[in-house]
This record gives sequence, C-alpha cells and structure tokens, in this order.
Amino acid sequence: MDEGGVAPVNFMWHLIWDYKEVLLKGLITAINVSIWALIISMVVGMLFALARMSHFKIVAGFATAYVNIFRGIPALVSVIWVYFGWSLLFGHNFTVFQAGVIALTLLYSSFFCEIFRSALQAIPKGQREAGLALGLTRGRIFRSISLPQATKIAIPNISSMYIGMIKDTSTFTVIGLSEVVRVTQDLNSTYFQPFVLYTAAAGLYVMIAFLVDFIFRNVELNLSYPPRGRVSRFLKRKEKIRVEELISST
Amino acid sequence: MSQNLALMELTGVRKTFGMTEVLHSIDLKINKGSHAVIFGPSGSGKSTLLRCMNLLEEPDVGSIKFMQTEYGPGLANTKKVKREKPIELRRKVGMVFQQFNLFPHLSALDNLSLPFRSVNGGSLNDARERAAHELKKVGLLKLAASYPSELSGGQQQRVAIARALSLDPELMLFDEPTSALDPELVGEVLAVMRDLAESGMTMVIVTHEMNFAREIGDLNIFMEDGNIVATGGSDFFENCTNERAQEFIGSVL
Repeated sequence: MDEGGVAPVNFMWHLIWDYKEVLLKGLITAINVSIWALIISMVVGMLFALARMSHFKIVAGFATAYVNIFRGIPALVSVIWVYFGWSLLFGHNFTVFQAGVIALTLLYSSFFCEIFRSALQAIPKGQREAGLALGLTRGRIFRSISLPQATKIAIPNISSMYIGMIKDTSTFTVIGLSEVVRVTQDLNSTYFQPFVLYTAAAGLYVMIAFLVDFIFRNVELNLSYPPRGRVSRFLKRKEKIRVEELISST
Repeated sequence: MSQNLALMELTGVRKTFGMTEVLHSIDLKINKGSHAVIFGPSGSGKSTLLRCMNLLEEPDVGSIKFMQTEYGPGLANTKKVKREKPIELRRKVGMVFQQFNLFPHLSALDNLSLPFRSVNGGSLNDARERAAHELKKVGLLKLAASYPSELSGGQQQRVAIARALSLDPELMLFDEPTSALDPELVGEVLAVMRDLAESGMTMVIVTHEMNFAREIGDLNIFMEDGNIVATGGSDFFENCTNERAQEFIGSVL
C-alpha cells in the first residue's frame, strides 16, 4: 500500500472469479425471490384485473384503490414496511425471503392488474359473443378463449415487469437478504474493490435481463398463432402427427 | 297442426339502447325447415332482431318461444312465466357472424372441437373426429390444421359455419355472413349456405345479397326503423305490394 496521495489503480478483477460461487448464489436468491413473487403477483394481478372490470362498484373501487396505492410505493419502502412494520404491529416475523416475496407481490400485482386488464380489454368483443353463441359457460369462455389470448398480448409487458422485479430485489439488502447487492457489499467490505465488485453485480443483472428476454421471446413465439419457433415445434410434434392422421383418415 | 311447426316464435319483442327503441314490438314466427331472410336499410334493427333470437341481446319486453320453451323476459301485461336460461337456447341455435369470430389461437379443427367438447363432453379425440367430419362437409378438411390467420375470409366463414353446425343446432342464424368478404369469396360461402338450406336446416339470414335471398328465402321480411314493414313468401320479390319494400329491393337488386 502506498502511503498518502492518490491510491494506485489496482483492480483485482480476479475477485470475480474467486468469488463466483458467492456471487452466483446471490443471483440465484434474487431469481428465487422474484420468481415466487412473479407467479403469485400474476395470479393476484389477474384477480384484481377481473375485480377492476366488475360491475359491482365496490369491488371495482377496491381494486382501483389497491392499484393506485401499491403502484406508488417504492420497493425499498415496501419491504421495510412488510419486514419491520408487520412484526411491530402483529408480533409475527416473516423470514427475509418471505418478506421479499410479499413486498414484491404487493407492488407488482398492481402492475399486473393493469397489464391483464388492458390485455383482456384488447380482445375483440366478438370473441366472447362467439363463445356465448356456441353455448359455452362464462368460465369456459374465460379459460379457453379470453385467457390464452390475453396472455399472448400481455407477454412482452410481463417480461419487462419481471426484469424490474429482479432489479428491485437489490433493495432487499436492507433486510439482510443475501441477494446480489448484499453479497457484493459483503465482499467489498473485505476487499474494498467497489469498482470491480459492482461491475460484476451490474454484469449479473444484465446477463439475467438477456436471459429473461430470451425465455419470454420463446414463450411469445410459442403463443403466437400459428405457434412458431423450435420449442413449440418440439412440444407439438406428436399432436401434429395425430392431426395429420385424422385428416387423412376422415 | 301448422302452429306446432313453429320452431321459434317472437311476440311483442322490444329492445331499447339508451333512449332509442330499436325494435318496436316485433312479432315473428319461424317454422321448422323454413328459410327466413331479413333485409332492409342499415339501422333498421335487422341484426338486433337476429341477436335477440339467441339472446345475445336480451329484449326489454317480449316473449321468445323456442321449441315450446319460453326464454324471453315475457310480455308486460301477462303473468311471469318460468323461463329457461339463455345457454340452453344457444346450444340449439347456431350463429354465424359478419366478422366470422373464429378463435385466432386455435386451429380450424380446434375451433370446432373446443366448443363441441365443452358442450357435449367426451374425449378430445372424439371431438376432433366430429370436427374433421364437419370441416369435410364445408370442403376444408385439408386445412384443418391451419389457423384462422392462414385462411381467406371465405374459408374462415366456412369454418365458422361448420363450427356452428357441429353442435347439431335446430336453427341457424346468419348475421350478414358475406358482408365482410371480398366479392370473389362471397360465392363459396353462399354455396355452403345453399347446401345447408337444401338439407332442410331452419335458417334465419340477415343479408344484403338480394339475389341469394330471392333464391332461397321462403319467408322474406323487410324491416325499417325497428318494424317489420312487409313479409312474404317465395314470390315476395315479384309480387310485393309494399311501396317502401319495392323501393328498397329496386335500389339494391
């Protein structure tokens, strides 16, 4: 170590390799929390979307209020409230993992509510009418006609939201969740290599963004009409043969 | 005897949208096996009347009797009768829309098999077998695996007709089935409808294709401003005495 003056530039890039397992473990924790939150907030968001489109004014009003409240709260505030606030008020402690999932779900279900509502409203009303005219029940129309079409419309937005959710897990460092930023901070307090370590953290987030985009683009291809892409061809190969057989035998 | 043949009977059907009454107390009897054609200027209430027949539009007042069962809200001054749910009616009444309304996320085959299966139950294979037979009847078996976006308008409408027929309806409603088609595609759809008429299906058709109406219509209904202004049999186009109907026929033929 030099004494006095400007510290020499001595980037310890090898730290990334040395601690790759620690960093990846942080990443996996971030993904783990965000995937649980994604699944739950999609379900909750869909329920709120239906509630917001309800003819019952009280139900619709409640959903609207929920959306406007939780869309406005930052993730950092949300997780502190869930982790510390809940415990103060009700004497029950969530684990940091649970608190993270709940905090993200509270926020993102409000976004998913809006995504699903606009997707459902984008489906031409003739679709529902055709279902009704064929004597289908409302439940069947929703599950087999509206939901698949709305999902396809919503996919690009869900993809962007999910990337946002992964990034928001970085704020959970305040409750001590060992996600990417937390492990980066821990390593930094030992080696004082912020540039190297935070570059690594940024790299991990970007890598995941590319991966998420890749996965969702394939899902979108698979959900397009007709389905496109290798994955869908692989998944539907048996069915394709069955339909071809049916056509030739009829 | 002849009143027993009424498959559907509308009595005093009124429908209001907002402040405007678009159907003024319509009475209409559709006999089994008949081919009713409804025509008239836009805004005359043709489509609304047709949509009341499967309760896609719920009339404000009026009786809709189908196969001896009461479905409508009933007449204002009579006692309430027990009525069946719209879904029971719709399962016996097929409808073909102007915009086809095929399900874009399903192949032609599954556009038929999905509704068939949800109405009749059974296995996917049985439903698809039935679907393939119906597609064959409209000449589209080879395109069974295609998605609606891969089909022409005429083909889409033929799939839509096959879809409605796969549920074995007693009555088929057609809401301007050729109006959204390119002129050269109209013929193939009319050919399917002609076959269907010849097979004895009871049909109610809202259309602007007056030549087709003249050819198959054995109950011709001219509507204007929410009223049935004139009705007649197969000779309606030759022997119609109503001035407005004559004027309209003259302007479109």
